[in-house]
Amino acid sequence: MKQHPLCTDTEQCLGVMDLAVPPELKREWAALQTRRHFLGRTGKVLGWAAMASLFGDRALRGDAHAPANGQPGTQAGEQLKLPHFAPKAKRAIYLFMSGGPSQVDLLDYKPNLAALYDKDIPDSVRGAQQLTGMTAGQARFPVAPSHWAFKRYGETGTWISDLLPYTARMVDDLAIIKSTNTEAINHEPAIMLMNTGNMNAGKPCLGSWLAYGLGSMNDNLPTFMVLQSKLNTKENNQPVSSRLWSSGFLSSEYAGVGLRAAGDPVLYLTDPNGVDREVRRNMLNAVNEINRQTFEELGDPETHARIAQYEMAYRMQISVPELADLSKEPQSTWDLYGPEAKEPGTFAYNCLMARRMAERGVRFTQVYKRGWDMHDNVTGILPIICQETDRGCYALVADLKQRGLLDDTLVVWAGEFGRTVYSQGGLTKDNYGRDHHPRCFTTWMTGGGVRTGVTYGETDDYSYNVVKDPVTVRDFNATILHCLGIDHNKLTYKFQGLDQKLTGPVPASVVPGLLA
Amino acid sequence: MRLLEDVSASVERLLPASRPIRAQWTASVVMSGSLLLLPFLVRLDGRPHADWQQFLGRFHPLIVHVPIGLLVLVPLLEISGVFRPALREAAEFVLALAFISCLGALTLGFLLAYGSGDTGTGVTHHMWGGIALSITVLLCLLARPWWLLGNETRLYPATLAAMLLVLLWTAHQGGSLTHGNNYLTEYMPVSLKRWVALGNLQANTPGADTFYARHINPILDANCVACHGEGKVKGGLRMDSYELLMKGGKDGPVIVSGHPERSLLLERVTLPADHKQFMPAEGRPPLKPEEIAWLKAWVQQGASPTATTLKGIFIQENAKEAPLKPVGDYSGMMSEILQMESGQGAKLLPVSSKPSDGLILNTVDVAASFGDVQLAQFQKFSPYIVEAELGRTAVTNASFDTLSKFSHLRALHLEGTAVTGEGLMKLAPLSQLTYLNLSGTKVTAAAVAPLDSMKSLRHVYLYNTPAQPATAADSITQPIAKTAQ
Repeated sequence: MKQHPLCTDTEQCLGVMDLAVPPELKREWAALQTRRHFLGRTGKVLGWAAMASLFGDRALRGDAHAPANGQPGTQAGEQLKLPHFAPKAKRAIYLFMSGGPSQVDLLDYKPNLAALYDKDIPDSVRGAQQLTGMTAGQARFPVAPSHWAFKRYGETGTWISDLLPYTARMVDDLAIIKSTNTEAINHEPAIMLMNTGNMNAGKPCLGSWLAYGLGSMNDNLPTFMVLQSKLNTKENNQPVSSRLWSSGFLSSEYAGVGLRAAGDPVLYLTDPNGVDREVRRNMLNAVNEINRQTFEELGDPETHARIAQYEMAYRMQISVPELADLSKEPQSTWDLYGPEAKEPGTFAYNCLMARRMAERGVRFTQVYKRGWDMHDNVTGILPIICQETDRGCYALVADLKQRGLLDDTLVVWAGEFGRTVYSQGGLTKDNYGRDHHPRCFTTWMTGGGVRTGVTYGETDDYSYNVVKDPVTVRDFNATILHCLGIDHNKLTYKFQGLDQKLTGPVPASVVPGLLA
Repeated sequence: MRLLEDVSASVERLLPASRPIRAQWTASVVMSGSLLLLPFLVRLDGRPHADWQQFLGRFHPLIVHVPIGLLVLVPLLEISGVFRPALREAAEFVLALAFISCLGALTLGFLLAYGSGDTGTGVTHHMWGGIALSITVLLCLLARPWWLLGNETRLYPATLAAMLLVLLWTAHQGGSLTHGNNYLTEYMPVSLKRWVALGNLQANTPGADTFYARHINPILDANCVACHGEGKVKGGLRMDSYELLMKGGKDGPVIVSGHPERSLLLERVTLPADHKQFMPAEGRPPLKPEEIAWLKAWVQQGASPTATTLKGIFIQENAKEAPLKPVGDYSGMMSEILQMESGQGAKLLPVSSKPSDGLILNTVDVAASFGDVQLAQFQKFSPYIVEAELGRTAVTNASFDTLSKFSHLRALHLEGTAVTGEGLMKLAPLSQLTYLNLSGTKVTAAAVAPLDSMKSLRHVYLYNTPAQPATAADSITQPIAKTAQ
C-alpha cells in the first residue's frame, strides 16, 4: 500500500486497494470512500441528504467533463469543440452597474412625461404587477418625470440625458437595448439572474462559462478577472458578493479572480523577505507533487484545480505587477480617462485596467460599480454616480477603438433591473425617489459582433412595459455568448442529471437585431 | 404559327386515309388555333375584372403542378417501357390526362392574369409558354401512335423533348412571377453566379452612391418588384426604376414628394397586416420598421434621386465582406502543431471547431522572446493561419518577408513592436488581409501611405505612432454638452 504523503507512520494494513477487484471499482471507491471524506461530509449534513450526496456526487456530476481527464493548462475549448463557430469577439468586458440604473433619467427618453408630473400612473399600465414592499403600500403612484433634459446626439440622433455627456459622444457606436427585462424585483435574485442565469446562488456565472468553454488566451493571467470599484458612501451600495463570479458546479479553476481596489492588487503578490523565486518554485513543486499523489489516491478533480491555481498564482507574481504598472501610459491616456484613473479602485481606473487586460488576452473582465440603487434623492445622487462612471465608459470604448481592440472585444453595460417611473416617497419639483423596476431597463453593448448605431426595443409612454422586441435576461446572455462564437444551447455541463447551461431550461434566443 | 404550318405539312405527308384520324387532326388544329387566338380575342388590359375570375384564378399555382408532374412522368414511362411494356401502355393515358390538366391550368392561369389585371413581360412570356406547351402536348398525343406503329420513329421523341424544354421555360417564368426574379440566384455561390450571369452582375446595382440607389431601391427590389416590375405589373405600377416609381400606377402617383402622409406607397405598407389593401400583398412579410422609416424620411425630404444622405437617418452599412479564401483542414497536422507549441511556447489556437475557419497564432505567453526566427518556424503552417497576434513581440521589419507568405492572413497584430514600416508593402500580396494593427510602433505617415492600395484592408490602426500621434487623437477633455440644471 502506498504511503499517504501527509502521514509519517508506515503502518501496513490491507485496504480495498489491495484486494483483487477491478481497477475502475477501486477508483470509484477511492473517490467516494475515504474516512476523511466520509467524516467531512457526514459532519456537515444530516441523514439521507448526506447519504445522497455521499453516494450520488460522482453520479450526479457525470464524468463527461470532469477535469480528471484533462490536465490543467490544456485548452478547455479543445475538449469541448469550442467556439462553435468563428466568433466576432475574442474577449469581453462587462461593466456591471449594480443597484439598477434609472433608465428614465438616462437613456429611455419619454418627453410626454413632463406634462404628467404628479399625475397618477394609470392602473392599466401598472396592471396586476406585484411591487416591492417598499412601495406596495403607497397610496399614490405619481409620475416623476426626469429632472434632466435630453438631447439628440450623433448621426443616429439618439436621445441621451444630460447626465451622460460622454456616453452621448459614442452613441453611434452603441447598440442601446431599451427592452431588457427581468423576472426578479429584488437586488440579490436579479443580480444573480443577470450574472449566472438563475436567481438562486450556485450556478456558474457568465465569466466562468466563458473560461470553461473558451479557455485561456494568456497562460500568465487568469482567464476571468473581476474588478470592484471603490464605494462612495453617499450612494446606496447594495452588496456585491463573490457568488457573482463563482464557478458554481464548474471546476473552481474557472471562477473569477478579483483584483483588490487598494494596495497590492493581489495579496502576498511579492515573496516574503528571504524567499527568492527559486525557493518559491521548489516549494510549489513539492506541494504539487503531494497534490498529485492525493489526486491519484482520492480522485477528487478539485485537486487539479488547486494545482492549476497555485501555478497561476506563481505566474501572476510576475504578470500582475506588469499589468498594474501604469507608469508607461502616455499622457493621452490620462487625458482620455480623466485624472481619477490614476487612483486605484476608481471606476475610471478599473476601465483602464480592463483595457490593459484586454490587450493582454484576458478572456473576460467584469467591472462592478455599486451605488445605483436610488430609492430617494435621485437628483442628489444620480449626478454623482454618473460623473463617476460616464467618462470611464466612454474612455474605455474610445480607447479600445483607437487601439484596434474594439473589433474583437465585446463591451456590455448593464444593471440588474431598471427603476420605476413613479416616485417612491414624496415627489417634489426638485426631488424624487425611484423603486426597483423589472419590466424594462436599458442596457448597451458595443464591439465585436454587435450592430452599432441601433436602438433596440421600445417601451410604452411611461417607460413601464416593453411594447416591442423584448429582450429577456436569457436572450441577453445568449446574445453575448453568440458574439463570442458560442451556441448557448450547446455550451452545457452535466450536473444534477441535467445538461446545465447559462441560459437555463426555458428557451432563449439570440437577438439578431443586435448582431452585426 | 410556323410550328403549326410545319405540323400541317407533316400531316399532309403522313396522313393515313382513315376518317377518325382525320377528324382527330382537324379537331387538334382547330383547338391549337383557338388557343393561339385567345390572347388576341381577350386582351390582358391591366385592369382587374370580376372577382370570381380571380377566385378561380388563384387556384392556378396549385393546379399547375398536376400537368407538370404528369408531363415529367411521360418520358420516364416511355423509357422504362423498354423493360416493362405495361408502363408504356400507361404513357398514353398519362399523356392524355396531362393534356386535359394542361388546358385546365391554362384556363385558370388566364383567369388569374385577366381577373387581377396582371400585365408585364413575365406574365406574357408565361402565358405564351403555357399555350405553346399545350399545343406541343397535343402534338405528342398525335405523333405517338405513328411512333408505336413504327411509321415515323423520330417525330414523337423530338416533340417530347421539345415539350420538356417548353415546360422548363414556362415553369421558370411562372416561378419568377411568384417568387421574384432573383429567387433562384439570390444565394448562388458568387463563383457560379459569375459563370452563369457573366457581365450581368453589375447591372443589378445602380452604380450611383445615392440614398435611393443604396437603400430605397434595394427595399423595393426585395419586397415589391416581384409584382410591380418588368415581369409582372400589378395595378399598372412599376417600381423597378426611379422614373417608373414616381410615375405611379393606375390610381395615380404613389409618392408625393415631401408628403409621406399623402403618399399611397407609405399608406399601403403601414396598414394593419390583415387589411385587404396591405402591401406587400398575398402574405408576403411586411417591410421592416427601419425600412418604413427610411422610406418615410426619403419621401419627407423630397424623394430625391440624387441625395446621398438624409437628415436623421443613419444606416450602419456593413461593407460587403470579400469572399474568404477557404482554409484547408489542419486536423491532420495536429501532432506537428502540438509539437511546435510545446517547443516554442507560442500557440496555434483554432478559430472555431470548424477546421476550415483556420488558426490564430497566439504569442502572448512568450511575447518577449518571440522574434523573426520564431515566426519563420511557423511558416509551414501559414496556409492555415488566418490571424497572427504578434503584438508586443520582438519581431522587426524582417518579419514582413515571412508574413508575405501567410497567404490566408486576415488580421495582423503588430502593435507595440519594433517595426518601422520599412518593407511594409511586402504585405501587398495578402489579398485577404482586412485588419492591420500598428499602434504604438514607429511607423510614419509616409510608410503607411501605400497601404491605401490594398483594397481589402479596411481596418488599419496607427494610434500612438509618428503617423498618428496619441496627443492629437481627439479633443476629449471637454464633453460636447454641458450638464443642464
